[in-house]
Parts: sequence; C-alpha cells; structure tokens
Amino acid sequence: MERIRALTDLRELEAAYGRLCAEEKVVEEELEALLEQQGTIENKMVALHRMGPNLQLIEGDARQLAGMITFTWNLAENVSSKVRQLDLAKNRLYQAIQRADDILDLKFCMDGVQTALRNEDYEQAAAHIHRYLSLDKSVIELSRQGKEGSIIDANLKLLQEAEQRLKTIVTEKFDLAMKQGDLPQVERFFKIFPLLGLHEEGLSKFSEYLCKQVANKAEENLLLVMGTDMSDRRAAVIFADTLTLLFEGIARIVETHQPIVETYYGLGRLYTLIKHLQVECDRQVEKVVDKFIKQRDYHRQFQQVQNSMMRSSATEKIEPRELDPILTEVTLMNARSELYLRFIKRRIISDFEVGDSMASEEVKQEHQKYLDKLLNNCLLSRTMQELIGYYITMEEYFMRETVNKAVAMDTYEKGQLISSMVDDVFYIVKKCIGRALSSSSIDCLCAMINHSTTELESDFREVLYNKLKLGFPATTFQDFQRGVTSAVNIMHSSLQQGKFDTKGIESTDEAKQSFLVTLNNVEVCSENIMTLKKTLESDCSKLLSQGFGGEQAQAKIDSCLSDMAAVSNKFRDLLQEGLNELNSSAIKPQVKPWINLFLSVSHNIEEEEFNDYEANDPWVQQFIVNLEQQMAEFKSGLSPVIYDSLTSLMTSLVAIELEKVVLKSTFSRLGGLQFDKELRSLIAYLTTVTTWTIRDKFARLSQMATILNLERVTEILDYWGPNSGPLTWRLTPAEVRQVLALRIDFRSEDIKRLRL
Amino acid sequence: MSMEDYDFLFKIVLIGNAGVGKTCLVRRFTQGLFPPGQGATIGVDFMIKTVEINGEKVKLQIWDTAGQERFRSITQSYYRSANALILTYDITCEESFRCLPEWLREIEQYASNKVITVLVGNKIDLADRREVSQQRAAEFSEAQDMYYLETSAKESDNVEKLFLDLACRLINEARQNTLVNNVASPLPGEGKSISYLTCCLSIVGKGYASLMSNVSSHFMDLGKATQEKELNHHQF
Repeated sequence: MERIRALTDLRELEAAYGRLCAEEKVVEEELEALLEQQGTIENKMVALHRMGPNLQLIEGDARQLAGMITFTWNLAENVSSKVRQLDLAKNRLYQAIQRADDILDLKFCMDGVQTALRNEDYEQAAAHIHRYLSLDKSVIELSRQGKEGSIIDANLKLLQEAEQRLKTIVTEKFDLAMKQGDLPQVERFFKIFPLLGLHEEGLSKFSEYLCKQVANKAEENLLLVMGTDMSDRRAAVIFADTLTLLFEGIARIVETHQPIVETYYGLGRLYTLIKHLQVECDRQVEKVVDKFIKQRDYHRQFQQVQNSMMRSSATEKIEPRELDPILTEVTLMNARSELYLRFIKRRIISDFEVGDSMASEEVKQEHQKYLDKLLNNCLLSRTMQELIGYYITMEEYFMRETVNKAVAMDTYEKGQLISSMVDDVFYIVKKCIGRALSSSSIDCLCAMINHSTTELESDFREVLYNKLKLGFPATTFQDFQRGVTSAVNIMHSSLQQGKFDTKGIESTDEAKQSFLVTLNNVEVCSENIMTLKKTLESDCSKLLSQGFGGEQAQAKIDSCLSDMAAVSNKFRDLLQEGLNELNSSAIKPQVKPWINLFLSVSHNIEEEEFNDYEANDPWVQQFIVNLEQQMAEFKSGLSPVIYDSLTSLMTSLVAIELEKVVLKSTFSRLGGLQFDKELRSLIAYLTTVTTWTIRDKFARLSQMATILNLERVTEILDYWGPNSGPLTWRLTPAEVRQVLALRIDFRSEDIKRLRL
Repeated sequence: MSMEDYDFLFKIVLIGNAGVGKTCLVRRFTQGLFPPGQGATIGVDFMIKTVEINGEKVKLQIWDTAGQERFRSITQSYYRSANALILTYDITCEESFRCLPEWLREIEQYASNKVITVLVGNKIDLADRREVSQQRAAEFSEAQDMYYLETSAKESDNVEKLFLDLACRLINEARQNTLVNNVASPLPGEGKSISYLTCCLSIVGKGYASLMSNVSSHFMDLGKATQEKELNHHQF
C-alpha cells in the first residue's frame, strides 16, 4: 500500500492498477472454485457423522477379539508345554530303554564272550567285543554306578580280559594259520581283526602273509630263470618276463583281496595293504634286477659304451649289434613296471576317492601326497629310473654307431634316385625312438627324440654336407680350372676313403652321380623327418591315451618333436645350397657359352638373310637341343621335385644371360623379328620342361622383343603409359631407350625426343 | 607354431645338484608359488611363461631337470637345444658348489657353444647358514665367463630379475646371430667339439663368439640394441 501511495506517475499508476485488476480476477476465480467444492465437502461431512456410531461398535468388537486371542494363546501355551514335557519324558524313556538295552547287551556280551571263547567261536566272541567297543562309554560308567555296580564292575573286568585274550588268540591263530599257509584260516582271522579295532594290525599281518606268498612265488620264478636254456624262445627277455610274473602276481593278489578288505575294513584301506605289498615287491625287484645286471653284464656294457663314447678311439669299441637284445629287454622291463605302477595307482586313487568322498580337502591332499610318495620313492621306480638312465646312453651309442655303419656301407644302385644310407639311417632312428617309446617312459622317449634330433642335425647332415662340398665336377673341356679343382677334390675324397681311383673320367662320372644322389638324399631326409614326426605324434597319442605320463607329457613330447621338425628345414636349406652350387658349377658354365653364340649370329639382317635363317636356323634350335641334352642328365638323376627347382634356376639363368647378350647386339627391323621368333621358340620349349609358368621370368625379354619389333620409334607410345593396357612394363624408361638404341635404323635424336 | 602369438621363443634349462632349489625357482617365476616340502623332480619338468620385454612377447620354455644322478642321461639330452642354461647351487651347501666344475664339463660336452650360462646361488634367505661366500662364487663365475646372481625362491629375491635379464640377453643374442648369419655363410652343424681337453680352448672360442657379436653389434643400424646390451652387462 505504501508503495502504491508513493506512486505519482500516471503511467506507473495505470500499470499498478492493471496488475491489481488481474490479481483480483485470479482471486475471484479461486474463490469460485472453492465455493463450488463446498457442496461435496458438506456431503462428505454428513457421511462422516453417520459413520460415528459404527466406529464405536467396531472398537467394542475388537476388544472382545483381543480377549479371545489372549485366552486361546494361554490355552495353547499350556497344551504345548505339556506336549513338550511329554516329549522329553518319551525321549528319556527311550534313552532309558537304550541304556537298559545297552546294559543288557553288555551283560549279554559278557556272558556271550565267555561262552564263545569256550566254544572257540571267535567270530561270535569278536562280534560281542565289537558290540562292547561300540557301546557308549557313558553307558558303561552308568551301569557301574547302578545298584549292581560291583557285579558289573567285575563283569567288565572279565570282558576286558576277554578282549585282551581274544586279541592274543586271534593273533596267535593268525600266525599259526600263516605258518601253515592255511588261507581259509588266515582269511577267517583277518576278518576278525577289524572287529577288535585292530585295522592296521590286521592289514599288516595279512600283508605279511601275502608278501610271503609273493616272495615264495618270486623265488621259484627266479630259480626257473637261472635254469633257463639260452636257446629258449623267451631267453632274451627272461628277466622282463620274470618281472612281469611278479607284477601280475601282486596285481592278482590285490584284485582277489580288495573285496575282503573293502567289506571288513571299509574303503580307503587299500593304500595300507599295497604299501605293505610294495615293500615285498621292491625286495623281489631288487633281486631280479641284481640277477639281470649280473647275468647280462649290464654295468660293464654301459661302462664300455661310455668309454668308447668319450675317447672315440677304435680300440675295444663295443659292437652295437651286441647291445640290441639287452636294450630291448630293458625297455620291456620298464614298460612292465610302468604298467604295474599305473595299475596300483589307479586302484589306490579310486579307493581313496570313494573313501574320501566326505573328507576335507586337506585329507584328500594328504592322501594324494602319500600316493605320490609311494609311487615315486619305491625302490622299483628308482631302480627302473637307473636302468633307463643307462639305457639312454647305450641306445644313443647304438644309434650313432649304427648310423655311422650305414653311412660307411652306403651303396648306390643304378636307376635309384637315393642311396642306401638314407633308408638305413631313418630305419635306425625310427627303431631307436620306437624302442624308447616301447619303454612307456615319456622322459626316456623325449631323451631319445632329442638324441635323434642331434644325430640327424649334426652328424648325418654333416655327412651329406661334406659330400655336397666336393662339388659337381665340370666337364673338362668346359671349364679347365673348375675341372682341376674338382679333380683335386675327387683325389682328396678317394684318398680319404683309402683308395685311389686312377680312372679319371669314370671317377668324374661317379662324382657327378654322387652329387646328384646326395641332393636326392637330402630332399628325402627332409621329407622323412616330417613323416617320422607325424608317425611319432600318432604313436605318442596312443601311449598318452592309455594314461601313461604326467600332465605335462603331451607338452614335453610336442616340444621335442617340434625341435625335430625344425631339422627338416635345415635339410631343405642344404638342398637349396646344393642346387645353387649345381646351377652355378654345372649349368652356368655350359649355358653361358651357348647363349654367347647369339652374339656371333648377326641380327642386322636383310630379307635374304632372314629367309636363309628361316631355312637354316642359326642359333635357337641348337641351343634348345643343347639345353635338352644338358638337362636330360639331371632329369634322370634327380627326383622330380629337385629337377623342377633346378629347371627353375636354369630358366632364370637363361633369362638373365640372354638379356645380357641382347643388350650387346644390334638389330635391324628384320633382326628384331628374328629375335622375336627365337624368343618365342625358346619360351615355348622351356614351358614344356617346367611345371610352373615361366612367362614372368621372360617378361623383360618379351618386352625387349616387342620394342625391337617396332616400325618407328614413336610407335612405342602406342604401348606406353596410358596406352599400355593390360601390359605392365618391367623395363624402366631408360632401359626402353637403351633397347630402342639397339635398332640401327632408329635415330638417336628420335629416341631422345621420346617422352616416356 | 608360427601362428602363435610371440616374437621370440627361448629354451632355458635349469641344472645343478639335487635339492638346490631348481624346481622352486621355476615355480616361483612361472606360478608365483613357493611349495614347501617339494619332492625331488622325476626326469624333467616343463613350464612355459610368456613375458613382455620392451614391447616384444617372449615365450620362455623352461625345462626343470632332476638333479639326481640317475636322471643325468635324460637331462643331458636337453642341453643341446637349450638357448640358456641356469646352473644352480645352494649357498648353504658347499658340496653343491664344489660340483660346479663337473657341471661345466657336462655343458662343454653336450651344450651348443652358443649357449648362455648363468650361475645362480639360491637360498639367500638362509644367509645365516651360508657356506659359499659371494666373493668366491663371483670369482668362480668370472673365471668361467658366466653371469652370476644370488636368489631366494622362498623370498622371491632376484627370481624375476634372473629370468627377465636372461630373456633380454637372449633377445640381443638372437638379433646379433641373424646378423652374423646374414654376413657369413651359414656353417652346417654347430661344430661341437667333444673332448674333455678342450675346456680352455672353448673358452677362447666363446670369447671369440662374443667378440664376433660385439663386432656385429656395431653394424646394427639401431644404436638402441647396443645400449640394451650394455645395460644387460650392468644388470648382471
């Protein structure tokens, strides 16, 4: 209001008035809206008033209900507490009955044991004791506190005495039965031990009995071995057979008695039984292996092998063939051991698995540790590891010496591409690895794969390399100097072989053949290695699928085999080196002069000479004939794959050399045409001798021929740049000019003027 | 193999007397574990770990060999393809140190002459029971032209460093070898001399090899590689 009074300006007053009017309007609208609601609100008020008495009614009802609920609750509480009391009473009654039963049982046991013992019914007695032992100790305490405490005490004493007596009796009877070898009695008392809570004792006693049986049988077998005739069919593997019998015997014992142990001793007890048996097994294995070492002179043979490997002197070298049978026998022995160890491992694991199904993780791990310890530390494992250790060294020696022999006895038969040593060497390597594989020991196998890789990569590859190093002798009239060096090489090699061949030409032929055969050998080696790898892969997967080897076995084998496969590439490299040598020492010296003859054939010719060339080909036909003769020698002497690589090298050589002479020649228009014809015949011929396209190699020469065939200098522009169409120029603009300049009828100014 | 995702693949073989902690070193490096009460290794164990060094993936194939005598002929077969050998002894066991010359003879006989050998004294967590002084071992390794490091597989001391430095060295060596091979024509075989008497000779040979690699490192277009090599010299 103050503010409005302060207003003096008319415009401001009007504005204020306007605002007030607007406000008034809004207020009026609001008032109207409120008035409109009055009716509804009044209606609602009436309804509320009407509801008032009803609410009082409800309140009363609710109070009544609450009272009823409280009453019911009290009633229920009353009833349930009575039920609980009843329940408790019932439970106590049951317990009382149980105790009474137990006490009765106890009494019954006391009486029963005495009677049973008197009747020598040990099973019954043991059952009574078992019942007594499984009774709640508090029951026994309780029964002592009863009225008849003193009587029960006395009876209990009797019972305990009976227990002790039964234990002694059972032990004695068991020992007696064992001494008499009375299996039914042994088994009878074996079953009683667990009833008396003597699980460990029972198992150890029973194992003792079983061990004695194992020992008896093993001794018998060993005596048989000593008496075996050397001509016997199995004489060479008699010790492996003896071990097999031992292992089979133990396996059979485990198989037969596992059910009894499971039934009467519960699950998870097999480990204890086998642990005891393993002690005897170790003892017997030691005996057999000792005899083996003595009879087969194993250690002396190993010593001798080691000596000859170190000194590499020829004195007293052990003949590898002599080692063959013993190596086979050792791998067989190990294979049998692995089989046996795998058998007991599986048995124990599955027994533990069932027995430990409820056990904690720690117990499981503990059991796993026991098992690992048993398998890894038993004398059988260690002895076999030792034998295999010696075996690997001897097998390596066997392989190396036999390979050396195969190399020394290398022969080549006419018509064959490769010489005998390749097949021989791979036969030997395969045999040695195969034998290592047959031992079922993954580490042994990997070691022999490694040794084979070394043997192939260094020793055998060296042999082939040295043969290639002698070179391919050039024919005498071709390259005098080369001829001399190769002759020296031949002399050198013949001297090394201890024989000097005076038949010069023949030995040149031999040297040539030797080179080609070696190339074939190298290629076959490279292939054989890959084949060997594949074969071994599938053999190994068979072994692994049978459950031999640890978790890393596959990875180990893969790694060793991939090292072996890498050697294949080294042989490929060697082959390439050899081919390059052949190309540069045998092909190049021949091909180059033939191509140079091109220079003596003038290509600056007129119509008459052109026609004459048509009738009497001046160069290309003879060149093709020469090439064919030259390559025929290699085609028959080399494997198709190598021959193909060689022709590829040869065609490259021809292309390069021909380009050189073309650039040294001069051409007339018809001379260009002549060259084009010659090139076409040459390409046509070379296409027939190679399996892959040679167009690419001759692309530059073909383009040169195109240029030399032009009518005018400027005609090049029809093929150049935007007009080149599908043609990709392999010649640089400078080279195009250089080729154009070979045409004597092209003016150098025209060539210079060209815009390329 | 070539499809696998790595730039380098190296084989490392651990050798040394039984019980010096070879398996624990490998476990510590590959799995970060120190298994107490580790049983003796049977034959050879095989682990793989891929590490990244200067942005390059290096796959390390680690062969953990049994130290016990009866496995010798198995472990020997792995020497030749090894890029590096870790010769381990136990600093609390004089005997394991005294056997080192014997191990070196084995290396001489079976390993490639390009192999890198590292001498490792393990179990420095048991320093109070030390029987082999650091100085003695350092002198020995120097005389044999070996790198030398003391580790604790239990406390994880120097274990990472051992393998990673070795990987660095192997990378450099591999780079230089390809370079040398490109310069000189490859020779067949490794020219391995089998003799007990060539011990000093082959050290000369090794010196020559390292000279060659030093020379070749000058040819390397990247000065970086040379720096790395020097760095490695310091690291060891």
